[in-house]
Amino acid sequence: MDNEYILEMLHITKRFPGIVANDDVTIQVKKGEIYALLGENGAGKSTLMSILYGMYEPDEGEIRVRGQKVEIGSPSQAAGLSIGMVHQHFTLVTDFTIAENIVLGNEPMTKFGFLPAVDLKKANQQIRELSQKYGLEVDPTAVVGEIGVSVQQRVEILKMLYREAEILIFDEPTAFLTPQEIDSLLNIIRNLRDSGKTIILITHKLDEVKRVADRCAVLRRGKLIDVRNVADMDTREIASLMVGSEISLELDKQPMNPGAVVLDVRDLTVANSEGIEMVKDVSFQIRAGEILAIAGVSGNGQTEIADAIAGLLPVRSGDILLGGESITGLSIRERAQKGISYIPEDRHNVGLILDYDLEDNLGLRRYYREPFTKNGNLQENVFREYADKLIDKYDIRSSSGAETIVRSMSGGNQQKAIVAREIEEGNPLIIFVQPTRGLDIGAMQRIHKSILHERDRGCAVLLISLELDEVMELADTIAVIYNGRIGKTAPADTFTKQEVGAYMMGVGGQQNAEGKERERNE
Amino acid sequence: MTLINNTIIDGMAFMLPLLIMAIGGIFSERSGITNLAVEGLSGMGAFTGALAAYIMTTCLGISSGPAYYLSFLFAALGGMLLGLLHAFLCIDGKANQVICGVVINILAQSVTIFLVKTINREIFGKPSDKIDLGVSARYTVPGLSKIPVLGAFFTKIYPFEVMIIILTLIASYVLYKSRFGMHLRACGDNPHAVDAAGLDVAGIRRRAVMISGALSGIGGMAFAYSISAKFSASYFVGYGYLAIAALIFGNWTILPTLRACVIFGFARSAGYQIVQKLGYPSSYQDLIMILPYVLTLVLLIFWSGKNRSPRALGEIYDKAKR
Repeated sequence: MDNEYILEMLHITKRFPGIVANDDVTIQVKKGEIYALLGENGAGKSTLMSILYGMYEPDEGEIRVRGQKVEIGSPSQAAGLSIGMVHQHFTLVTDFTIAENIVLGNEPMTKFGFLPAVDLKKANQQIRELSQKYGLEVDPTAVVGEIGVSVQQRVEILKMLYREAEILIFDEPTAFLTPQEIDSLLNIIRNLRDSGKTIILITHKLDEVKRVADRCAVLRRGKLIDVRNVADMDTREIASLMVGSEISLELDKQPMNPGAVVLDVRDLTVANSEGIEMVKDVSFQIRAGEILAIAGVSGNGQTEIADAIAGLLPVRSGDILLGGESITGLSIRERAQKGISYIPEDRHNVGLILDYDLEDNLGLRRYYREPFTKNGNLQENVFREYADKLIDKYDIRSSSGAETIVRSMSGGNQQKAIVAREIEEGNPLIIFVQPTRGLDIGAMQRIHKSILHERDRGCAVLLISLELDEVMELADTIAVIYNGRIGKTAPADTFTKQEVGAYMMGVGGQQNAEGKERERNE
Repeated sequence: MTLINNTIIDGMAFMLPLLIMAIGGIFSERSGITNLAVEGLSGMGAFTGALAAYIMTTCLGISSGPAYYLSFLFAALGGMLLGLLHAFLCIDGKANQVICGVVINILAQSVTIFLVKTINREIFGKPSDKIDLGVSARYTVPGLSKIPVLGAFFTKIYPFEVMIIILTLIASYVLYKSRFGMHLRACGDNPHAVDAAGLDVAGIRRRAVMISGALSGIGGMAFAYSISAKFSASYFVGYGYLAIAALIFGNWTILPTLRACVIFGFARSAGYQIVQKLGYPSSYQDLIMILPYVLTLVLLIFWSGKNRSPRALGEIYDKAKR
């Protein structure tokens, strides 16, 4: 039984116009193991799994399930072979309950008078039992549109289990989760393995592989590079296998050389669009050449601080000073002109106009000024030259250069475009909110280097991140926010990671994590 | 007393056809297909039903009783066939659903009028732009109709009123209790989830739009009997759009849509009765005819904020796009 593979994908090749997404890839997965597929965005992990799940047909190669050669032409055929998949973007019916979502397509039936009817009572009961069996607590009667992302993910997992899937594929399952939610998901994945399920985990995060996987296949540019046992794998080596060159995981960070105070936030109180006070009496200063990071669990008011400084949210009380001058009453454009660059959290809705091309997006900060506009007419050649310059300087990759529609670009390159546009203004203050969310290790490093570079040239940097590692690595000063208030501000080297974590949870457990969670969901 | 009684009698006769058309719209829209074609679908139903009734009574010698009921069957078929065109254009042709609905309305109106004239001239040999229907029988339930006020609900009932009430019950069961209804509602919220569950999104939606066409046709036939006892160009006065307004006010659910239809129906009939009672000239009656539409505008202001349309409504479903 030990050498029995439950799933084999042999010599799989898949070509798309202009690109070989999978090039002679072979993976063999044992029953009851957690098998990680590690690689950067675009390495071919998702394509390989889409082939397994019946969404693409391979050009070459064969798939064996339990030793039998199979053709998988559709997701329902994959389900018939007891293969299930949790996609990165969930496919849930938002106005259905959790139970209705899970049983959809396989509903238990009862009689309504003499007519057949869906038996929701039985469905609720079945889901309750199933969720207890695997330790995935959910309320079957809760409406999916009203529950959080991590619970929605549990619903997706339960959907697979309800269909009695044995091989479970997770596509980048931690991309949208907070650190606590990631912990609990990884536990769930471990439990599933221990109850006999086979798990394939698609990810670009090394530490997740290290924490849960038994074996790990590294993909790069469509090719299988290596398969390793996680227990005896060296993180640094795997990272370089993944990226394709020797990379240093440590950043070359020079000591801070601070100048005058650039940003001075005094007793800032901000309410969100629903009128709830998210930021309460927050004060901090950032000097030139300093990175101040605000650490905290998602939803504690950090985004609202950034939005208030950039002018996206009105200030309820308090004052914001830039270079000693109050900007509290200024419009967004006036603030930008005074010297604020902003890399927002939501790059799709706030950072970019997805259906515009790259050159228009890169010109968004300048389009109304000369030489971009002359006598009220946009100067296309100026846009093009400027875009080409930035594309070259910041290594923004896309299919057709300045004319690429931004929606079609990868997340990493979209973010590079925003960073390029904002940094190029040469402003004294840059705000980065979640700058590396969803990016792979290579793109992440480039962004980190840009942040340090800006700080070294004498810019004040406000960094807001949910990734504690990122905060610890980059910050000169850390301010920890909890429930809209900054609990502690101190030089980064006086904190340990554990201490920051404790402040993030509200210091010494005045309120436990669950209480916080509940509060956030309300 | 007669004022209230007549308000109820007329109100029911107006409200129920409107309701069944709105329910048809709910089926289509809850499956994710915008259906502005209710007007055209009901008109096509009224035309085919009226034509069938005329042929059955004058040419085939079928007595008016069975012909009456059969005409509704043909009306449902006519509406369903045109609904199938809407479904084909929207689902298979991936057409813009709003434009498609409007085009079907225009098409139904011009085609039915053309056909009425041509058939009258070529087949029946008389120049006429209408199809006459016999006057519908109306029933009064003995005993129950003697109850004060409430008795009006059992007085001078058109047979179609009973038919529509039964259909409403069946439609509620199908939409909320049956497996098909569950799949249909899921399609309107997230077709990808339906697809992932191994179900056929296009097939479910096609059936939903055909049901919509059939119910619209039945509603249209009922209007043809109750309002004018004929089918002609004057049929198209926009009740289909009113049905859409009702289902939007009803938040795409059957019971609140019933409430909206009650308001429309009784406002119209009450206004009509009051004008008659006061003995105003007929121009005032015309004014009353616009009451449901004015009411729609007023209600829009109060009700719009709370309403939430099906999430995938009007979006063209493309399997590959996620």
